[in-house]
Amino acid sequence: MSDFHNQSQASARRSDYVWQYEYYDDEEPVSFEGLKAHRYSIVIGFWVGLAVFVIFMFFVLTLLTKTGAPHQENPEHAEKHHRPGSCLADNGSPQDENERAFSRPLLPESRSFFHFYISEEEQGQGKCKAEDQGGGAIQGQRAQESEERQPLQGLVDEGKSDRESAFLSHFNIPNFVNLEHSSTLGEDDLLLCEPSAMLGSQSRSQDAHRNIN
Amino acid sequence: AITAKSDCPEVEVPVPLFFTIGVVGLAENFLVVVAVICNRNLHSPMYCFICSLAAFNTIASLAKTWENLMLVFAGVGQLDQRGSSETKLDDVMDSLLCMSFVGSIFSFMAIAVDRYITIFHALRYHNIMTMRRTAAILGVIWTTCGVLAMLMVRFFDTIFIMTCFIIFFLISLVLIGCLYVYMFMLARIHARRIAALPTSGSGALTLTILFGAFVVCWAPFFLHLIIIMVCPLNPYCECYRSLFQLHVVLLMSHALIDPAIYAFRSAELRHTFRKMLLCSDWR
Repeated sequence: MSDFHNQSQASARRSDYVWQYEYYDDEEPVSFEGLKAHRYSIVIGFWVGLAVFVIFMFFVLTLLTKTGAPHQENPEHAEKHHRPGSCLADNGSPQDENERAFSRPLLPESRSFFHFYISEEEQGQGKCKAEDQGGGAIQGQRAQESEERQPLQGLVDEGKSDRESAFLSHFNIPNFVNLEHSSTLGEDDLLLCEPSAMLGSQSRSQDAHRNIN
Repeated sequence: AITAKSDCPEVEVPVPLFFTIGVVGLAENFLVVVAVICNRNLHSPMYCFICSLAAFNTIASLAKTWENLMLVFAGVGQLDQRGSSETKLDDVMDSLLCMSFVGSIFSFMAIAVDRYITIFHALRYHNIMTMRRTAAILGVIWTTCGVLAMLMVRFFDTIFIMTCFIIFFLISLVLIGCLYVYMFMLARIHARRIAALPTSGSGALTLTILFGAFVVCWAPFFLHLIIIMVCPLNPYCECYRSLFQLHVVLLMSHALIDPAIYAFRSAELRHTFRKMLLCSDWR
């Protein structure tokens, strides 16, 4: 019995888990007679399922990119604590945010994005050019953090209800493919330039931008 | 004994492969930990969580490599497998492994939540995620893992603990998946850019890699645990169980690719590495 135990211990340790043996007794080996399917069917099934899952997930995510997943009455909207900053350097509030924005150690990626934003500002490409550098800084900070209130601020400078309707109409845009191809800024699109490019045909945004500028 | 009579012989992974994966994983993650600690620019909540993840992976790789060493010595006959000190050491290794598994899952969740707050509460990020709170969160994570690990090893032969382990894994899988997909969807719609993900590739690919690697590396091992509980005598299940060492290799290789997914994405961290490895004076 001790030899047996020794052997079992040895192969158990080879399996790296001693407790395996407490779960199946090796006195009667598992019988392989009369198997209907292939021996490794669980293994094959599992890996096929896993591969299908990963590929499915990838396609879903890619499709979300293309179509924009419009079902967004999202809980973020319920959060009204968020202070409205905007392309128009808003009153005094952006100042604190400005301080915070600059005092915060930027993520390296966001830092590069921020610089990109500044250079874009200098080129004067964006329609969403901020009034002043402070607003622009906040814009850049917000943009890089993809703050979801962003599109509203740029589009509409009215009451919250109007912002909400703008927000919702924003999501009625059926396809984002236009934006991908037409945008000159590429992946690092500024948040405000994006909707402005997207809603180019819509009068409201044009008015808003005229207001901003 | 049993493997000789079975049609599904246990698939053995060569020990050098175990060692290579273990040592490389150990080196990578230890470098990440050192880099984050040494570089003042990296003392932010996000990097603290990445450092914690790397620390857990370091412990996992260390424990696994040590266990392999012990197995090799035992196989050669240098160690007495029934000795009390060896079994105690083995228990310590197992508890370290459990701790690091649970800990890395907690760290993934913390990183996901941190990214969520970064994106959707950006302006209040500084108030929500202060360094003190980060330290508290990390303290809670490490204490919980330590306690859980001790409990698990003490009572690992009970079905209850294993069930808890598996349920914990599934819940955290779902949570992390939902958090990331939610962030992805909203961020895509608003800004076409997700913070802390690379700008060049598509977010879909990055997210797939992030989540896919987690699932592919962890799921086989957990299915193994489930199968042990559910169908120990079934021949199909036994054929799955015979691949145990492969599944452990997958788990270890996750510790290896984690830095590539989380840490090396950051330019600052890569810069720190270069300076550290080239031993130039960067302070």
